Amino acid sequence: MRAKSFSYWLFLAPVLIALSLVVVVPMLLGVYYSFTSWNGIVTGSFVGLENYTNVFKDERFMDALWFTVKFSVVSVIMINVIGLSLALLVTSHVKSSKLLRTVFFMPNLIGGLILGFIWQFIFIKVFASIGEIIGMESLQGWLSTTSTGFWGLVILMSWQMAGYIMVIYIAYLEGMPKELLEASEIDGASTVQRFRFIVFPLVAPAFTVSMFLTLSNAFKLYDQNLSLTGGGPYNSTEMVAMEIFQTAFTQNVFAYAQAKAVIFFIIVALVALIQVYFNKRREVEM
Amino acid sequence: MKEFKVRKGLLASLFVTAGILAACGGGEEEASQSKEEKVTVDIFQFKVEFKDQFEDVVELYEKENPDVNIDITTVGGGEDYGAALRSRFASGNEPAIFNIGGPQDVADWKEKLTDLSDTKAAGAALDGTLDGVTVEKEVLGLPYNQEGYGFVYNTRLFEEAGIDPASITDFASLEKAVKTLDSKKEELGLEAVFALPGKEAWVTGLHLSNTFLAPEFNHNVLDTFAADKVEFKYGDAFKKILDLQNDYSAQPSVSLDYSQQVEELFSLERVAIIQQGNWVYGSIAGIDQELADSGVGMMPIPVDGYEEGGLPVGVPMYWGVNSAKDEKVVEASKEFMDWLYTSDAGKKAVVEDFKFIPAYEGYDTSKITDPMSKAIYDASEAGETIGWVFMGYPTGWGEGEVGASIQKYLSDEASWEEVIESAKKAWETNRSK
Repeated sequence: MRAKSFSYWLFLAPVLIALSLVVVVPMLLGVYYSFTSWNGIVTGSFVGLENYTNVFKDERFMDALWFTVKFSVVSVIMINVIGLSLALLVTSHVKSSKLLRTVFFMPNLIGGLILGFIWQFIFIKVFASIGEIIGMESLQGWLSTTSTGFWGLVILMSWQMAGYIMVIYIAYLEGMPKELLEASEIDGASTVQRFRFIVFPLVAPAFTVSMFLTLSNAFKLYDQNLSLTGGGPYNSTEMVAMEIFQTAFTQNVFAYAQAKAVIFFIIVALVALIQVYFNKRREVEM
Repeated sequence: MKEFKVRKGLLASLFVTAGILAACGGGEEEASQSKEEKVTVDIFQFKVEFKDQFEDVVELYEKENPDVNIDITTVGGGEDYGAALRSRFASGNEPAIFNIGGPQDVADWKEKLTDLSDTKAAGAALDGTLDGVTVEKEVLGLPYNQEGYGFVYNTRLFEEAGIDPASITDFASLEKAVKTLDSKKEELGLEAVFALPGKEAWVTGLHLSNTFLAPEFNHNVLDTFAADKVEFKYGDAFKKILDLQNDYSAQPSVSLDYSQQVEELFSLERVAIIQQGNWVYGSIAGIDQELADSGVGMMPIPVDGYEEGGLPVGVPMYWGVNSAKDEKVVEASKEFMDWLYTSDAGKKAVVEDFKFIPAYEGYDTSKITDPMSKAIYDASEAGETIGWVFMGYPTGWGEGEVGASIQKYLSDEASWEEVIESAKKAWETNRSK
């Protein structure tokens, strides 16, 4: 590290202090608490790895983890496919592409909690009404079964995040050298070939970024989960973040919940790092 | 984390930031110095419904007692309150008066609770209301009020269907009434007879289960808290009532929530009966004042095979006083509680402004106006009640275990036997820890 000037640290200090106070210190404290029998009131005694061994025997946690993994895989694919399609749409020569960009990006500006309640109304009321009119039985009783709850969450998440991911793809698509595309056209490449051999490799860095964002966001989802399904029916649509919150604040076993949180942190970090590592290898140097 | 040398610059900037932070904190200190002769009582409470009325009453008290300053913080919604309270204590900013629910809370907070047995309010508390917060002759909490629940029904719809509510005394007569209502759905403009909010685990897992478990535990919350196992002696009766509600409920019952049940379906008179308590008065009044004041009644949930049934009536929450505070604050807190529940001005506010069903003696109860509260008060006067024992359930058992299993049962993912078995097992596992 180069020796930095006095003013450098002076300007950085407020941020460093804030960050360590609200992120680093609580996190280290949390790791410490996870080895005790802390109940939210008193720290309690040191119990070693007991909390951690219990986590792996906890069916509800494992169910939540499995549900989260399924949700994340489906969401990541959906969001990236929709995001890329939207980006291709607004960068092609459609009219009102500026307006469309704004429209697609809008859902991001609404908070997850509010969105959850709005979509809950759509799934429960609007779907049921439409189902009645067109006579589709499958639109009745959404969110009252595990599978409709799952797809409800996926639809909500895709709708919310696709616009944001679209913006990332747009940046890369617009940064593509025009000569390459022109050359391919002169050489007689079809649209599919052009997309497959030129566009796709060139926007690979965008995949790395969006995959990272969508993966970590899908894993950590909490507020949409809370307001849309609340984990119901019978905790079957409960994701990990929510399960940890429930453990801490409804069952009052704080240290145990903290141990779950530490494990969860490690899982998310690992998944994200592995994904970035493999995607980085695929990128082409211009 | 990369290592870096702590340089003079970093130190200097630390001082600068510390200075800024200190400057921000300075304002509060000055403010509190001017009130030095005053005793400040911090109240941290959960009941959102009466926040405004409560603040008005406190203002009145401050006028009468200029040397006391009371600050109220309200954090609503059951589980949020517990979490918020813990974080308040963890932050070192401990309130002087806070709320506790039952034996489990008492056990958790015992270190922080003052004995209130010498207060006037504790002396005036109705028989049995202090059971859940009494530990070895020490009274550690004072009841807020009494609440009760049962089947809230629409009197107009009953009349039009030709049903006399007084004739419903057991499960058979209830079933008959429900079938009558169901057959006249069209002409009454009903969507269904019931609205069973399967999504609300507290409605099924705490309230409904309590109706069938209270007789098993002698209606005593402490017996419940001490029990190592649960038998479900009235498990079949439990199933009957749940099935009846579900079979004749607006569907899908498993994802129906409180607001759909009370505000949408019941207040708009699209269902005739809901299982709820007198706290729904405000929700109904917000939509149809007339219905809330004169169009509803409340009847007990019949427990098949148990004769002495009644409305389940209990104390939802208690006031606790923080023993870690200094003498002056503790005394001021006790005095305020006494004034609130035993002085004339306080009593008037409790009944007329808060719309509480008092849990204390010496009240003019003719002032209780809403029909549900009246039914509950009359039942408790006559001694025809079922106790509230769910505060003595193992932590998280009612909602997390029973409520969730009932959701499984409602979506045909589990049989009733499985619901009962898993509930029994979870109770024993939790108690053997």
